[in-house]
Amino acid sequence: MNALSLPDGRRIPLDKDGYLRSLDDWSIEVAGTLANNENISLTDAHWEIIHLVQQFYEETGLAPATRALVRLVAQRAGPDKGRSIYLMKLFGGKPALTVSKLAGLPRPANCF
Amino acid sequence: MKISLLIMSAPGENQSNQSALSFARAALDAGHEIYRLFFYEQGVGTGTNLAVVPQDEYDLRAAWQELIQQHDLDAVVCVASALKRGLLNEEEAERYERPAANLAKGFTISGLGQWVDACIHSDRLVSF
Amino acid sequence: MSKTRSITLLIKQAPYGSSKAKAALDMALSAAVFEQNVQLIFMSDGVFQLLPDQQPAGILAKNTSAALTALPLYGIESVYVDAESLQQRNLSLDGLAIDVESVSTEQLATLIHESDVLVTL
Repeated sequence: MNALSLPDGRRIPLDKDGYLRSLDDWSIEVAGTLANNENISLTDAHWEIIHLVQQFYEETGLAPATRALVRLVAQRAGPDKGRSIYLMKLFGGKPALTVSKLAGLPRPANCF
Repeated sequence: MKISLLIMSAPGENQSNQSALSFARAALDAGHEIYRLFFYEQGVGTGTNLAVVPQDEYDLRAAWQELIQQHDLDAVVCVASALKRGLLNEEEAERYERPAANLAKGFTISGLGQWVDACIHSDRLVSF
Repeated sequence: MSKTRSITLLIKQAPYGSSKAKAALDMALSAAVFEQNVQLIFMSDGVFQLLPDQQPAGILAKNTSAALTALPLYGIESVYVDAESLQQRNLSLDGLAIDVESVSTEQLATLIHESDVLVTL
């Protein structure tokens, strides 16, 4: 079975596409290791966005789609960060999908 | 006229799935074009190839399949509706490690974007 | 997808007891993501979706109404409620979870008439 190997040796079960099988497995270390697998090294700038998305999910039950993510970040972290170019620099070509994955949100059914 | 259908009820659940089929046939007979059939919510139950209908009852699913193949219709089942109701094609069965695929021939699985696209490219969207 | 359509969702079902509330929400958000003009009208028992502080965990359901606060973020600004439906259920505009515009039955008819696409859920 596909698994994520954490620095402390624990193995976290993943599905075929690299999503967590159980969302309860999410932790800061898990997020960091998932990010490393996508060649992202998490900094405070990343965490600011991840926390925003987790908070948004807590409030609404939604994982924000691209344009909504940009607006959300603009509203809560300022207009200089609420731009797709800023988010793509942090999280790559599909920031909304990647942030949701790193934040431990449910896997979207509609991923294409 | 270019028409798309939004079908939200399963065969046998109530009258509406059968009405949709009759409407589609009538529209084609009258010379209209059907741009897309979009199956949503319980409507995705139309696309299973595992249902067994008593021999003295009308098999709506077989009739849909025949119509779709005969007129080469674009028949899309909503992926989110389909997954949670246990309707999968080979690709989704493999992705989610399920033991079988049961999507009937002629149907494809895709997102609500295909419904939006149907709204944009049809003169009318008729929902059932 | 270049053309823009005005898509109206007429929301008539209570938030729980069926999957219609979630179905309407998914449609609204998808249409908004593809930059269509989305208009929501809450009517009949659909107005119960607008009540704040819903706690459906006890019936093993997810709170889909919570997502309504995110509508502006998705560019959905046209949200209406049928005044008569509110009144019949002894509800008032200021007790609702989000800002909506109260409209009369005649105004509703006009809104629907002017839409390209109508889906009732």
